[in-house]
Amino acid sequence: MADKDNDKLLEHAYDGIQEFDNPLPTWWKWIFYATILVVPIYMWDPLGIGVGPGKVKAYEQQMAAFNAAHPKSAGTYTDDQLAAFAKDPAKLEAGKVVFTTYCAACHRPDGGGLIGPNLTDDFWIHGGKPTEIMKTVTEGVLAKGMPNWGKVLKPDQIEGAVAYVQSIHGTNPANPKAPEGAKFPSDSAAAPPAVAPKAK
Amino acid sequence: MNARLDSFSYDDAIVRKFLWATMIWGIVGFLIGLIIAIQLPWPGFNLAPYLTFGRLRPLHTNAVIFAFAGNAFFTGAYYSTQRLLKTRMWSDALSKFHFWGWQAIIVAAAVTLPLGFTQSKEYAELEWPIDIAIAVVWVAFAVNYFVTLTKRRERHIYVAIWFYIASIITVALLHIFNNLSVPAGAFKSYSIYAGVQDAFMQWWYGHNAVAFFLTTPFLGLMYYFMPKAADRPVFSYRLSILHFWSLVFLYIWAGPHHLHYTALPDWASTLGMLFSVMLWMPSWGGMVNGLLTLRGAWHKVTEDPILKFFVVAVTAYGMSTFEGPMLSIKSVNALAHYTDWVIAHVHTGALGWNGFLTFGMVYWLAPRLFQTEIYSKKLVNLHFWLATFGILLYVVAIYSAGATQGLMWRAFDETGRLQYPDFVETVMRLIPMYWVRVVGGTLYITGASLAIYNLYKTWATRPATYEVPVVQAAPLDPVYVDDHAPEAGGFWARFTHMGWHRRWEGMPLFFSVMTAVAVIIASLFEIIPTFLIKSNVPTIASVKPYTPLELAGRNIYQREGCFNCHSQMIRPLTYETERYGDYSKPGESVYEHPFLWGSRRIGPDLAREGGKYPDLWHVRHMKNPREVTQKSIMPAYPHLETNLIDFPSIQRSVDAMAMIGVPYGDAVNNAPAMAKAQAEQLAASIEAAGGPKGLADKEIVALTAYLQRLGRDLKNASGGTP
Repeated sequence: MADKDNDKLLEHAYDGIQEFDNPLPTWWKWIFYATILVVPIYMWDPLGIGVGPGKVKAYEQQMAAFNAAHPKSAGTYTDDQLAAFAKDPAKLEAGKVVFTTYCAACHRPDGGGLIGPNLTDDFWIHGGKPTEIMKTVTEGVLAKGMPNWGKVLKPDQIEGAVAYVQSIHGTNPANPKAPEGAKFPSDSAAAPPAVAPKAK
Repeated sequence: MNARLDSFSYDDAIVRKFLWATMIWGIVGFLIGLIIAIQLPWPGFNLAPYLTFGRLRPLHTNAVIFAFAGNAFFTGAYYSTQRLLKTRMWSDALSKFHFWGWQAIIVAAAVTLPLGFTQSKEYAELEWPIDIAIAVVWVAFAVNYFVTLTKRRERHIYVAIWFYIASIITVALLHIFNNLSVPAGAFKSYSIYAGVQDAFMQWWYGHNAVAFFLTTPFLGLMYYFMPKAADRPVFSYRLSILHFWSLVFLYIWAGPHHLHYTALPDWASTLGMLFSVMLWMPSWGGMVNGLLTLRGAWHKVTEDPILKFFVVAVTAYGMSTFEGPMLSIKSVNALAHYTDWVIAHVHTGALGWNGFLTFGMVYWLAPRLFQTEIYSKKLVNLHFWLATFGILLYVVAIYSAGATQGLMWRAFDETGRLQYPDFVETVMRLIPMYWVRVVGGTLYITGASLAIYNLYKTWATRPATYEVPVVQAAPLDPVYVDDHAPEAGGFWARFTHMGWHRRWEGMPLFFSVMTAVAVIIASLFEIIPTFLIKSNVPTIASVKPYTPLELAGRNIYQREGCFNCHSQMIRPLTYETERYGDYSKPGESVYEHPFLWGSRRIGPDLAREGGKYPDLWHVRHMKNPREVTQKSIMPAYPHLETNLIDFPSIQRSVDAMAMIGVPYGDAVNNAPAMAKAQAEQLAASIEAAGGPKGLADKEIVALTAYLQRLGRDLKNASGGTP
């Protein structure tokens, strides 16, 4: 940095403002050159941290690596396992929180049904076996408006929710939504549901 | 040399007017900022329909940029230009027209934005009639300014004037070319550009609005008021020249860094990043020249609150212009984009650089303009400390909010699932920091209110009539002989000696043309390929225009300002596609006039919202978001269930879209009937699912139809569930 005693004033002045004839600060000049030098280095990319293959190719590579590191687990649950969760108080307690937070908006806090079907009766649109409930929750039924919760909830949250749904079966809440879907467990002696299953 | 001296006086009355406008609009802009800051952690503070976050946020940005900073620029420019050129402004009438025209535009903005009239392009929200008024007023200002330049009595123009010239020319260009649109009613228009091209134009504008409305005008002010207040010469004339030209030329290229990882082509993104990195030192040239001007005057800074304001302003400028290039690096941007990090970044600039430079300038001007002593120096000091502390609280809280949310969005657990798959979880974590911002903002506004009070008390002790000093200066000799000795040495030696630039400074109109050339050439290098290279936007056969009803819904989406909180642009990043679905393709936006990609995710991305939830979910969600998502901070929009759809206006919308090339087919003849048919069908399905009756002519149906369409074209093409 220039010593201020050596500063040379330029002869001009504007409304009393004068200017020094100081050179560019050396550090300023060199950093400026360096940032210009970034351009060829970034484009040439010798270290592999530059321009690269473009965002889409880079994404495809990342996805391939990601999928290799995290193989999708196939449905590892059995009906018995999920039925056992429904008897585990810890699971049920956690499941109730999940149900209240995420499911109650459409199925009502008591499970009696609102936008979504009644979950307390004997009728199931997409199957009432624990693994079938699991599948409906995890994969959703987008055509009918059931979101794909597998993307939003974590596995233990889903386990809890499925356990909780099993636990509220037969609780007979007030003002339930009319039954929809097929009876489960199917009972050949039982009459068909009072209201015909809705086909949407 | 001509021995005759002209006698003349400066027009300070116009400066006083602009000064009051600066301070009054400043308070208004800050207050709206405070209101929207409270609305985030406390959604009940949204008063639908007119005072929701989506409508007030653009009012806040427009008020602080164009009303506060704009009037501050005009205050300082009218004061300093006359003195630096030794001449009165050419036309007092044009100065007055500029003042009143500009204030009328601000009032028009304050009325139309809450009413929901918006082009939905950031900082260019105002609708077409107001845009035309802005162009007229700006041209009046420019004419007055350039004629004044020719009437000057100072041969050479000082660096402050260079920056003013660059600002005046470039803002005109940016404003006109970004706002080209086709009207579809008195207060509704559609950008003539679509999708990728509209996004490009918008951020060419948006970034350079920061450059040529908030940076170059204020550098000009700095170059006048800082040496004046410190009574010290400017550190380096040569640095002024170099950083001026490099700044003006490089800034224009940087816009695409706002669109990293979007559907913008890679080459544009890369150019934006590299030029932003190169912009670091040109920006810091201004900071260096400002701070080093204080060499030998640092003892004054401890005593003079005006210099304190200037030092913090220039330091904030240095911080945000270091951070800008850093944020433009693609990998850094991937983390920061769509988060509060960017909000903190701009507030370092706005509160620190623009705000403090303005306050310092106003306090310096007040005794001179009101021809009296400042009422209380203590209050100036108190203002300084309150505002400094306020800025610190604001930015610390919001930087951490930005980093927190950015990191939460990208976090995966050990099983390869998103750590925080529920978006609202990442919002809840920010609430405490939002309250800290409210405290910081309150301190800042308290400081500004003290300023108004102090100025009022100062003004109250003004003389009965202002003295108008008569200035004397010799007119310019019509025949100018360059008194510089021919420079020695080779080309490079002569170039670096800057004698050529000294000659340019004696030719302001030529200087202005060169500035325009620098800006236009840099722009064309990016604009021409963006519009001409077909492969930038590969077409997708399944992408079709919106139905008339969906278009009406989109108009509502724009009106309510949904794009202020929801993006519609999924980036090709693992954690984004995991959360939202396949990344957005350029071809999906070809009918998006204007593009609605958004720039901040206060709520989740909506690019693939269609079909994620049932119709009734949307109806309930709009009426009260917390009924379906307990912790949502979204405002409630109950009026959508009672407002009637304006069916006749749909035809105007469709016609305007068809005019700019959207293949509407049959809809150009009977859009309202088509919209009615679709609305009835949708309303029936909502009712069948247990929803409210009689929605077929209500706005909620149009909006639901639009939301349910988002991202569906691509899903349909790839054989997904319709």
